[in-house]
Amino acid sequence: MAIYLDCNATTPVEPSVASVVMRFLEKDFGNAASPIHDYGVFALAAVEHARGQVAEVVKARRDEVIFTSGATESNNLALLGLAEAGIRSGRRHLITTAIEHKAVLEPFDEMARLGFEVQILPVQADGRFDPQRLADSLRPDTLLVSTMQVNNETGVLQPLTEVANIVSNHDTWWHVDAAQGFGKELEQLRHPRIDFISISGHKIYGPKGIGALIARKHDRQFPPLRPLMFGGGQEQALRPGTLPVPLIAGLGEAAKLAVRNNGERIEKCRTFREKALATFSSLGAEQNGTEEYTLPHVLNISLPGINSELAIKALKNVIAVSSTSACTSHTRTPSHVLAAMGLSSDQVEQSIRLSWCHMTPEVDWSEVETIFRVLRG
Amino acid sequence: MSDIFRELEEVTVEQYDHYDLPKWLADPVLMVARNPETYEGKEYLVEILVAQVREYDVYAEAGCCKWAYDHEDIKRTLRWLEE
Repeated sequence: MAIYLDCNATTPVEPSVASVVMRFLEKDFGNAASPIHDYGVFALAAVEHARGQVAEVVKARRDEVIFTSGATESNNLALLGLAEAGIRSGRRHLITTAIEHKAVLEPFDEMARLGFEVQILPVQADGRFDPQRLADSLRPDTLLVSTMQVNNETGVLQPLTEVANIVSNHDTWWHVDAAQGFGKELEQLRHPRIDFISISGHKIYGPKGIGALIARKHDRQFPPLRPLMFGGGQEQALRPGTLPVPLIAGLGEAAKLAVRNNGERIEKCRTFREKALATFSSLGAEQNGTEEYTLPHVLNISLPGINSELAIKALKNVIAVSSTSACTSHTRTPSHVLAAMGLSSDQVEQSIRLSWCHMTPEVDWSEVETIFRVLRG
Repeated sequence: MSDIFRELEEVTVEQYDHYDLPKWLADPVLMVARNPETYEGKEYLVEILVAQVREYDVYAEAGCCKWAYDHEDIKRTLRWLEE
């Protein structure tokens, strides 16, 4: 079996997370909305415990965490959920960036259809958007700014601290898609000016199908979100439906470990990175996205003269990698992220993303190097 | 002693010394914290207890929404630990 180097698509599950999930599948299977007996009360206790564990990662309050099915739903709730507030107030200007995930860009397409004006900021060759462009774009009628924390394809950390300073004097809502950075880069998301944070369980060694929207309250009130679904009133009426207690408890455990083991995980990823960088440097690879701001577990490279599809097939028995994001790789469309960074179509077609984690075993890099040299002929 | 039991002792002493946690509630919690071998395998419940003690609020049930933990929550978790 090839060694899995696609952790930006999804991570393996931590053993203790799996244990917690199994406990609530097999033994403690109560419904958190039925706290009329110990089964329900314990399920509710587990949900509230997990809510606190997720909140702790970003120093939010427990009541600011709304459980969803994942970051895609969280993004949709934060963006489309504000549409009515924008329509009522006459604020119809939205700002985002060209390298956002489709789970942000497509809700914005929908808002454009509803009559909103969507402004998409370009990015630089280093993979980051320019905060000054954002500052110049803000208008009195700007309802919402949505910027990702870490790009899923390049691993490049975006300038959120600068954005926080820029929007501190503006009453726009600010949403951060943190699917790739939550639980990995901790400090940025603790800034109290961020109104909404979208997260996903399966990117932090938790289960698939669970995530959260963290919506910071002002004067104990949520931002003026409207739910996208109705029926049941769960999650403070913003996300109805029976709570998946096993998944929520698993997400909580994963969030706890993300804080507790953060430094140790980063060190392991850095050690792995040094070997990967040495291998690809010797092959003349060009890194996509500036090394200075790239998280230690991601490497996006273009290898001149080697088509990425051929490379992925040739490597399939040694390492499992991808050429673009998981959500677009099945469509075979060229990466909109790399194109936005100004890469040529040849460079995009020669790009490979490797993403690992603290659980990744050693790779035989000499074998990887040999395969590439054979491919290059 | 594992970290979670040490954390339970620290947070309980702090809540008792400086905040509103009453002695009648602090004492049984400290019994758990200081007897980790008795509660081996129940660390998940101990974690919940740590959070409940840390966010203990006498008036948790007051107001429209309950977002703190009160003595009933802690008593219930203590009972689960004994089951």
